[in-house]
Amino acid sequence: MAHSWMKLGAAATAAVLSLGMLGACGSSTNSNATTITLFNSKVEIEDQMEDMAKQYSKEKGVTVKVYYSNDTVAAHLATKYASKQPYTISMVDDKDIYSLAKEHAVDLSDEDWVKDTDYALSVDGKVYGFPTTVEARGLIYNADAIKKYTGKDFDPSTIKTTDDLKSIIKELKAGGMKSPVGVLKEDWSLAGHYLPQVYEEQSDVDAFVDTLLKGTADLQNNEKWNSLMDTFDVLKDNNYAKSSAVSAEREVTEQKLAEGEIAFMFGGNWDWSVLNQYDVSENMGMMPVPQNMDDGANEKLVGGGSKFMFIDSSDQTTDAQRQAAKDFLNWLANDKEGQKFIVEDCSLVSPFKTNTLEVQDPLSKSVKKYADEGKLIPNYSHLPDDHYSVLGAEMQKYLADQEDRDALATNIQTYWKTAKLSGATA
Amino acid sequence: MKQSKFSYKLGQFLMFAGPAGILFCAVVVLPFIYGIYLTFTSWDGVANTKPFVGLSNYQQAFTDAAYWAALGRTVVYSVISVILVNIVAFLLAYAVTSGIKGQNFFRAGFFIPNLIGGIVLGYVWKFVFNRAFVAIGDAITGSKPDSLLGSPSGAMFALILVSVWQYAGYMMLIYVAGFMSVDQSLKEAAMIDGCNSSQAMWHVIVPLMRSSFVQCIFLSTTRCFMVYDLNLSLTKGEPFNQSVLAAMHVYNQAFVYKNYGTGQAEALILFIICAVIGVLQVYVGKKGEVAA
Repeated sequence: MAHSWMKLGAAATAAVLSLGMLGACGSSTNSNATTITLFNSKVEIEDQMEDMAKQYSKEKGVTVKVYYSNDTVAAHLATKYASKQPYTISMVDDKDIYSLAKEHAVDLSDEDWVKDTDYALSVDGKVYGFPTTVEARGLIYNADAIKKYTGKDFDPSTIKTTDDLKSIIKELKAGGMKSPVGVLKEDWSLAGHYLPQVYEEQSDVDAFVDTLLKGTADLQNNEKWNSLMDTFDVLKDNNYAKSSAVSAEREVTEQKLAEGEIAFMFGGNWDWSVLNQYDVSENMGMMPVPQNMDDGANEKLVGGGSKFMFIDSSDQTTDAQRQAAKDFLNWLANDKEGQKFIVEDCSLVSPFKTNTLEVQDPLSKSVKKYADEGKLIPNYSHLPDDHYSVLGAEMQKYLADQEDRDALATNIQTYWKTAKLSGATA
Repeated sequence: MKQSKFSYKLGQFLMFAGPAGILFCAVVVLPFIYGIYLTFTSWDGVANTKPFVGLSNYQQAFTDAAYWAALGRTVVYSVISVILVNIVAFLLAYAVTSGIKGQNFFRAGFFIPNLIGGIVLGYVWKFVFNRAFVAIGDAITGSKPDSLLGSPSGAMFALILVSVWQYAGYMMLIYVAGFMSVDQSLKEAAMIDGCNSSQAMWHVIVPLMRSSFVQCIFLSTTRCFMVYDLNLSLTKGEPFNQSVLAAMHVYNQAFVYKNYGTGQAEALILFIICAVIGVLQVYVGKKGEVAA
């Protein structure tokens, strides 16, 4: 019995392996100078990317091939580098630039587009990352729903403090909306997006993170911590799924927000791709997270450049390919067609000042407005790799009322003592 | 040419076993050795350099509390799942070999969950736990009960339930084969000698089916220890990372937290534990095997 299974297994591996070899033969012809490969890590725009690549290939005589992977960015690129088949251009997250750039990326400091953006990513004074878009976090609101339940037009600029937020929630409840808030329980939302605001809104971010690493930070008595957690408490207490907060599904929450069953949710402009799938209300937008602390943070969104492209510097990429890749980035930033692709086809906020096209989706409109006014608090991009997962679990406990605020603060401080900043070791 | 010459034998051996042997080396043995080498480096998964760090990855693996917690959960999950899978599978096999009407239909029916991939299965059951059960509870009691997936023990229970549902049909097939291989005359002889049917089952048929048990327990143990797909799609480690099983922790450590060496070391420890349990269990099981 066991023997015949092994034979079957061997036959199967043989088949798979020979298929792999065939595949390898097929792809070995792409060292051709006019073909560049592009790794796209933004799943929402994969279709648009592929259409664009076809069009671009036809017009410019440079064949662009777009790839996507379900794996995490770092894991996927690791296999590509290990097999010595790097992409000419890879779209990655900011922290991947910090860990990859020095070994694998081309210096882009001399490119034309660098002066047109505030969001290019540099390591040691050299520009490596081309920003694809601007993304920001804040409180998403459904103005139509608020108007329906309060009878008044909603002006987000009137909600500045936690107390303001409480009073509008009270009004909404009085108008018949049972629980006006949705809270995403996903660890990346809780500890990748909400919690980091505590660090990002400190007056000196690096110094504060240093105290966390050294174990001298005192969260319990930190004004920003308490200010943000006070607001979080309001969101938590008015969560439509309060009793089952940790099994609430993201799709359900977003659907309720889109259709006006709830009015507020903490999120970012990337949530539009989900909201958009439902019967979405017309008047939605993003506003800063209301806070009682009076440091101006409650007038700003948190965010900045996102999804950075870098060009491979290894021997597997020819100079002609690198030039074609640089031309492509310039096209994205400064050519009318490229600008249209980013803003109109992909509904992204362009990080370039030269791109004056109006973005269509309402959340991105808000982000664009805050970005143009210079009201974006920068992301902290050295969060440890396990931060969102380990502290996400702690935040979930807090969300489910299994842990009080002091215990949460203590656990966060304990975690940081052994944490390792990402991309900072290089 | 003499057929007893060593070179002839070697040639014959290579002709038949060579291709499979080379492939086995290329896709299993070599990566395995390379994997062991990586446990001695602090490679992050992408960098060009793989700095040698000696045993520090193992030291980290042994002090990684989250890993041992995940391993502990895996043991609990595996023990309960293996017992339940085999009991359910055995009873199903008994039922569908006892000559009930439409038994071929039932055999196919019980086997089908095994044909659905773990990922799909996880999403389907997530829907069942989060929506269907909640809606049924709502209809019966009038208030929405919490989803099982919302509490750590509930999530573990859900994992076990779905695993049993998935594997029982597969193990059932092996038990069915076991039942069929026991000659009917042996049971009849036992009955004539004065056994009642449960005694005949317990003292004659079950001992003769020992190899089926050994196989089923081995298969279900290794599958449970290595489970990842179901864990990922059904609970994703939530809530509070309290349903992260060993394989998922290893993956996260290596690819998400980017401690490739430590993750690899933890994977190796998991492999050794699995191998020891598997070999031990087969050894003990085979020792008492009887042939009819």
